[in-house]
Amino acid sequence: MLEVSLKKSLPGFNLEVAFSVNQEILAILGPSGSGKTMTLQCIAGLIKPDEGFIKLNDKVLLDSAGHINLLPQTRQVGFVFQNYALFPHLTVKDNIAYGISHLPKEEIKIKVSELLEKMHISNLGHRYPRQLSSGQQQRVALARAIAPEPEVLLLDEPFSALDSQVKERLELELLTLQNFYKGNILFVTHNLAEGYKLASKIAVYDSGRIVQCDFKNRVIASPSNRTVARLTGVRNLMRGSITEIKDLSVRVLVPELGGTLKVTMDNTAGLAPEQNVTIGIRPEFIHITDHPGDNAFPCTADRIVEGISILECFFHVNTEITPRHWVEVSLPKLHAPHVPEGHKCYVYLPPEHVAVIRE
Amino acid sequence: MTESYLAPLWISLRTVLAATVFTFFLGIAAARWMARYSGRLKSLIDGVFILPLVLPPTVVGLGLLLLFGKHGPLGHFFSLFDTTIVFSWPATVISAAVMAFPLMYMTARGGFEQVDVNFENAARTLGASEWRIFWTVTLPIARPAVIAATILAFARSLGEFGATLMLAGNIPGKTATIPIAIYFDIQAGHMDQALILVMIVLVISFASLGGLAYWKLRMPHTTSAALNE
Repeated sequence: MLEVSLKKSLPGFNLEVAFSVNQEILAILGPSGSGKTMTLQCIAGLIKPDEGFIKLNDKVLLDSAGHINLLPQTRQVGFVFQNYALFPHLTVKDNIAYGISHLPKEEIKIKVSELLEKMHISNLGHRYPRQLSSGQQQRVALARAIAPEPEVLLLDEPFSALDSQVKERLELELLTLQNFYKGNILFVTHNLAEGYKLASKIAVYDSGRIVQCDFKNRVIASPSNRTVARLTGVRNLMRGSITEIKDLSVRVLVPELGGTLKVTMDNTAGLAPEQNVTIGIRPEFIHITDHPGDNAFPCTADRIVEGISILECFFHVNTEITPRHWVEVSLPKLHAPHVPEGHKCYVYLPPEHVAVIRE
Repeated sequence: MTESYLAPLWISLRTVLAATVFTFFLGIAAARWMARYSGRLKSLIDGVFILPLVLPPTVVGLGLLLLFGKHGPLGHFFSLFDTTIVFSWPATVISAAVMAFPLMYMTARGGFEQVDVNFENAARTLGASEWRIFWTVTLPIARPAVIAATILAFARSLGEFGATLMLAGNIPGKTATIPIAIYFDIQAGHMDQALILVMIVLVISFASLGGLAYWKLRMPHTTSAALNE
């Protein structure tokens, strides 16, 4: 269990966050300069917040009210730096052994070779960091960080220095890391797909604040505000007002779509008729069809951008409203109908995939 | 005869060795402190440390003379132990160390500032004490700069003349180091003796340069293409 609450003011930037994790992987997601790395540094004790409270299992690491501020040396927090910060003058083995030098020699030897094996780098023990690829360096950095058996592992943008092939393989390995590292893992990323794949919870940061911290599927399904929606790739955001609430289904009048939209939700608490809301839907959840019906709106294809596996289509809805509103749709190429530019059809927004964002 | 004209060599070697040892530790301590210090007095302290480099050596020598002289604060302190520094062998060490200090300090500080804080931070999260971090992370990573600094300090103390002459004078067999002996040999017309000392200085200088080059070749982590598997 890790409880964190922090406040730090810098010229032009304020960090004020609070969250807790319990034996799970938390992804800290946000644009650069939103205070993600600073949060990790505060937890590790590398920088001191103005105010704060950090408790790791039963140990209070920081309590500005009670004047407790443990040194990084005694916090039992593992840290993997963005550039890995492997000691360039030490071999891989000596790097990994650095944090366990207080153990008897035999034990160190056994532990280091165990870690080398778990990280699949047994053949690299005698190399120096500069003789390793960045993927190998990351494995060494992970092994070095978990050798002293920290109670929480902090990873600062662990995959940003890797090319995409290596990255995918190492992402999988981070998931298997859980098999032998039993503790909290916090990692910073600006890549939603990466966060979603690896974490169970996501904390969305925006300029020094947490705008949402929840289980990953809930962050995606019901972003708590427009910022979260924007940061998590909900590209279609439209304003509307609620016309009707019946059980778990809500009708929203969306002028930009020229009609009402039916949305089904897990719970409708906090919503009332005539309330102004924002509705959001991810481009990959929208279908196109030739038939009118509920939640289907007539539109014209303006622009098609061809990707490797998807077509990114920009439709404008055929309404009187100006300026025209665009709906962005991602269609998997394999199953996509033929959509030439200028094509007239209907965009269908499945009721279960539309998020209603309270304003 | 042999003894007397090789005497400056032995004096110089002892002086340079002692002065290098002093500047090594003092310079590294000062450099490490200033590399991570960011207080208001930073530029002032920095200026004081570099002062011997920008002042004429004779001026530094005069300053030391005033400091260590009979009525100077340090001279008074040493007289409590019945010791006189001025015109004694330790005076050669003090002047050489003071003159070499700025080079040691500046070069080492540059090296420490180049060490990414994340190396030290990584060591901190791995539980290493600040003392251990300095000796096992910061110093080894800054080693090229520290070695260069030491060689510069060594060379500077070997060549020290002005301040030494002011504080230690020219007492043959006691304070006459090689540069001072060369000067007075030539003054007295002993060109052959001066040339022998010049040759010796050249040998020492080239040997230290050669040592540096050899060391650079041998460092494993400074050569990049050493893949051997």
